[in-house]
Amino acid sequence: MSNLEPNEPHVGVYICHCGGNISDVIDVKRVATELGLHPNVVISREFPFMCSDAGQKLVIEDIRSGKINRVVIAACSPMLHELTFRKTLQRAALNPFLYEHVNIREQASWVHKGDHEGATQKAIRLARAGVEKILLQDELEEIQAKATKHVLVIGGGPAGLKAALNMAARNLRVTLVEKSSRLGGHLHELDTLYPSGESASALLAKLLAQVNESPLITVVVGTTVTAWDGFVGNFTATLSSGATVNAGAVIMATGYDHVIPAGGEYNYGGDPRVTTLPKLIEHLKTSAGKPLVWNGVPVKSVAFIHCVGSRQTEGVHAPQADGKVNDYCSRVCCTAALHSINVLKARQPDLDIYDLYRDIRTYGRGHEAIYEQASKNGVLFFRFTEDAQPEIREHTVVVKDILTWGEEVEIPADLVVLVTGIKQGAVGELIDMMKLPVSSDRFLQEAHPKLRPVEVANNGFFLAGNCQAPMDLVESSAAAGAAASKIAALLSKDYIPLDPYVARIDSEKCTGCEACIPECSYTGALFMNEGTKKAEVNAALCKGCGACVAVCAPRALDLAGWSIAQMEAMVDAMVTEVPA
Amino acid sequence: MKYDTLVIGAGIAGLQAALDLAEQGRQVVLVEKNPSIGGRMISLSKVYPTLDCASCITTPRMASVAHHPNITTLTYTEVKQVIAQPDGTYHAHISKKPRFIEEDKCIGCKRCEEVCPVYIRDDFEHNLGAKKAISIPFTNAIPQFPVLTPDQCTWCGACANACPVDCIDYLQEPRDIFVEVGAVLVATGFELTPFNAKPQYGGGVLPNVITSLQGERLLAPHGPFGRVLRPSDGKVPDSIAFVQCAGSRDASLGVPYCSRVCCMYAIKQAMLLSGSLPTADITIYYMDIRAFGKGYEAFYQNAKAMGINFVKAKVGRIRAGEDGNVFLRIERQEESSQPEEMNHDLVILSLGMKPQWNPKTLAWDMETDLDGFVKSPDAPMDPATTTCAGVYACGTATGPKDIVDTIIEAGNAAMVVGNHLARGNA
Ligand SMILES: Cc1cc2nc3c(=O)[nH]c(=O)nc-3n(C[C@H](O)[C@H](O)[C@H](O)COP(=O)(O)OP(=O)(O)OC[C@H]3O[C@@H](n4cnc5c(N)ncnc54)[C@H](O)[C@@H]3O)c2cc1C
Ligand SMILES: Cc1cc2nc3c(=O)[nH]c(=O)nc-3n(C[C@H](O)[C@H](O)[C@H](O)COP(=O)(O)OP(=O)(O)OC[C@H]3O[C@@H](n4cnc5c(N)ncnc54)[C@H](O)[C@@H]3O)c2cc1C
Ligand code: SF4
Ligand code: SF4
Ligand code: SF4
Repeated sequence: MSNLEPNEPHVGVYICHCGGNISDVIDVKRVATELGLHPNVVISREFPFMCSDAGQKLVIEDIRSGKINRVVIAACSPMLHELTFRKTLQRAALNPFLYEHVNIREQASWVHKGDHEGATQKAIRLARAGVEKILLQDELEEIQAKATKHVLVIGGGPAGLKAALNMAARNLRVTLVEKSSRLGGHLHELDTLYPSGESASALLAKLLAQVNESPLITVVVGTTVTAWDGFVGNFTATLSSGATVNAGAVIMATGYDHVIPAGGEYNYGGDPRVTTLPKLIEHLKTSAGKPLVWNGVPVKSVAFIHCVGSRQTEGVHAPQADGKVNDYCSRVCCTAALHSINVLKARQPDLDIYDLYRDIRTYGRGHEAIYEQASKNGVLFFRFTEDAQPEIREHTVVVKDILTWGEEVEIPADLVVLVTGIKQGAVGELIDMMKLPVSSDRFLQEAHPKLRPVEVANNGFFLAGNCQAPMDLVESSAAAGAAASKIAALLSKDYIPLDPYVARIDSEKCTGCEACIPECSYTGALFMNEGTKKAEVNAALCKGCGACVAVCAPRALDLAGWSIAQMEAMVDAMVTEVPA
Repeated sequence: MKYDTLVIGAGIAGLQAALDLAEQGRQVVLVEKNPSIGGRMISLSKVYPTLDCASCITTPRMASVAHHPNITTLTYTEVKQVIAQPDGTYHAHISKKPRFIEEDKCIGCKRCEEVCPVYIRDDFEHNLGAKKAISIPFTNAIPQFPVLTPDQCTWCGACANACPVDCIDYLQEPRDIFVEVGAVLVATGFELTPFNAKPQYGGGVLPNVITSLQGERLLAPHGPFGRVLRPSDGKVPDSIAFVQCAGSRDASLGVPYCSRVCCMYAIKQAMLLSGSLPTADITIYYMDIRAFGKGYEAFYQNAKAMGINFVKAKVGRIRAGEDGNVFLRIERQEESSQPEEMNHDLVILSLGMKPQWNPKTLAWDMETDLDGFVKSPDAPMDPATTTCAGVYACGTATGPKDIVDTIIEAGNAAMVVGNHLARGNA
């Protein structure tokens, strides 16, 4: 029986075997016994899988029976199961933050496989530190930010339109802001679409009709966002018209720009017979069914050169404006080029077409058939490497073709089509204003490249379509739907729950010295109250980084759940010897 | 029982879609035919392009699903029938296969597994290892219940004696479950194209020609051998080859399409191999390298810089060499066209993807496309819709794709399923 007063912390400690991942290296029984000696620990157990239903039930029963009121679980990484166990405490009607997750797998058993004694001792120290920390823990409450049920979509291309329609279908009001004078983005430029062959204009007309019909979508064209404020659940955007929009979340759907071949690459800009794929597609769109005539001259032979402005290598290609080359693949251009080739061949079967490529990337559903069709149409393919670029001559293109073992081939060409890639649009101002993360390829950066592709690390921001990475329409629609899905969940309640691990200030102790203010990197999170002349924290904006705490001389600032007192107690516990 | 949505298949597609729907407040019943949720992803080694450990990033998703109050997960369960109702909803007949243990009593202690005297092939390890006739499918399986394989069990009674909670039931029968749902989401995933589709490649015959999923297990942190070795004789391979498009882009195999993931997974496996066997020679024989996704081209260029050999060549046939080695007859498509024979210790066939499940086995009017995957009649703008009202599909059920593209589709599917349900309620 414990000698603790009922209102004192009664800690339950659970050591997980992780099915051998931990217990093969660490003597889990010894860890449990050692922890059981702590005066505040009333239960100390080990169990094969704490995350299993059976393991969780154990914790719930110990809480419900009134034996414990704080929990420490020593197991895998908190990244995996901290939330799992917080929910376990909730199910047992205990404050979920009275829980400490100690990592003895990644931090002990996995990294000290050969040293059982050392790993066991380390596990004991880590678990003890967990106990000391939870003893000083307050009953924290999650922060609740107001959820404005209105979404701002920036960019009215196919991705933005699709995102808006999806959210309106869920009864969320949407403001769709488009920079240009009309909705539709690059869909306006396209002719027939790969892989289905349907008309881009018809598709766009259908989308626009749906958007027009929706009473929940407000469209503003010829407009940009000029100022940005607020936080998840409650952003305020100021538009170039002067109007403001209050939104709970924002979808970035600003799309792409075409890469323009730089500094005379392939004589582009100098030689009128050199054009780009987007220009060819525009021409196809306006010359319905007619044979190809370029600059008034009928065309008999066309050469396509792939990967212009994409898959560039330093030293071979001229850098872009920011000094870096475009080292990524633009994903859509191989299929788009072959699709256009098939369109040309259907109009003009005797047209000679030469396709100069590095790899043909017809990866998508229905794409390989387009490549097959081009081969059947008699298109001649030549393969070049990045260090031997084709060369444009008077009426020919010269390519070192590795399919014929490096032979130099001279191809007749009345027209050369550069298969240009995609790049991030001109959204530098938005990125600065909203502090959005950017990937090394300049596209907007997702929160996790596999698991969270449409979310941004900044709360409340989501990505749809080509502003995140090159993608075709199927993929843009899917991304728009996925982003909308996250928002439908986020705004499904009246408030947005946030972790309570944020800075808090003891205004009694604050001397108003303002030393902390410049340390904070998050606008609005920490500010001086003009009336009281003391620092104040906006919990919804604070990220809990602790930069302010470090400079506060009177120790008025502290982090909830990671207080200085907790850290000190943990360090003391860790340096205390473990009996052999 | 009534739910908002039936999700069929608990791979990463089904898991993500179920989570998104549940977070939107929808009640989901998730049906998985295997004993654990997680699909193929949980069995992969590390995943491109970031090389995170697959089980480390899949397990948290699996756990969130398993513990979500709005999700009912039914594992080791198959959908027998889905019947459309006049009001647009669906009734489904689901059959739960017997594990031969009582799930409400089992504590997952593994005593049964420890005492079982019968070893059988381990399907999770793609037959590279053995497991007991009663065993928990793999370390981080969810749920942590053992399954008894009746065909190979000798009914010796050892497990029943050892079980501390007396929950082994040798007489357990399949159980029928009936659910009523507002919408159905098909996330039944893929399987590899057949290993022996091209007899000239020796798949399934030559011992040191293995599938890419076996390659994944060889490289997995908790794989069958704990390190990379040749499954036939335990030799540490010095020279390893990948054969690209081994089951794809070939109309004669009935797989004219590109399987979209095999270039990237081969590059990934090559990088991981070169990490664990720094002196080994690694060669990838390919037609085109399709590194089209975000960060993929850089991944490919890194592999080249690491010294992995990329050879543009057609592989004609593969035959047994000496000491278990494998000879590949190749025809280069660069430098010279002379057929050559290349000698490798181990060959991995980069097999493609085909659908795992044919919806035609159920009596409904859901169509598949020429490629055999679920047809998406409203792509490009609505890739999740099928030819059947109220039935949606996502992930590799609608064509080959990798994890990130699967996750994006799953999110979209959750949105359109939710929209469908919202329309119904309006
Ligand atoms: C040559 C080529 C051919 C293609 N052919 C096909 C095809 O046949 N089939 C297919 O499926 N896909 C094709 N694609 C891909 C297709 O174009 C895109 O997938 C599609 O346009 C979706 O784009 P999006 O909505 O992400 O961006 P976009 O179409 O670029 O739309 C973005 C919108 O955002 C607006 N915007 C930008 N910045 C701001 C700002 N700051 N404020 C407000 N608004 C802003 C822009 O004005 C634009 O309207 C092709 C691409 C190329 C390059
Ligand atoms: C060798 C290899 C390596 C790979 N490596 C990577 C990588 O590094 N990075 C990457 O991004 N991608 C990789 N992939 C691709 C990745 O595996 C897939 O994108 C992903 O697993 C697809 O998930 P899914 O949910 O669509 O399908 P699956 O994982 O196949 O899941 C489908 C689920 O449905 C279940 N099911 C099927 N039919 C039924 C039914 N009738 N009733 C009930 N349940 C059913 C199945 O049992 C399964 O659990 C790789 C693929 C292979 C083959
Ligand atoms: S899609 Fe094709 S043309 Fe475009 S960058 Fe990639 S490989 Fe080059
Ligand atoms: S021995 Fe019994 S309780 Fe333990 S895992 Fe086996 S069936 Fe479950
Ligand atoms: S992804 Fe690569 S290996 Fe796979 S089918 Fe396509 S081209 Fe072939």
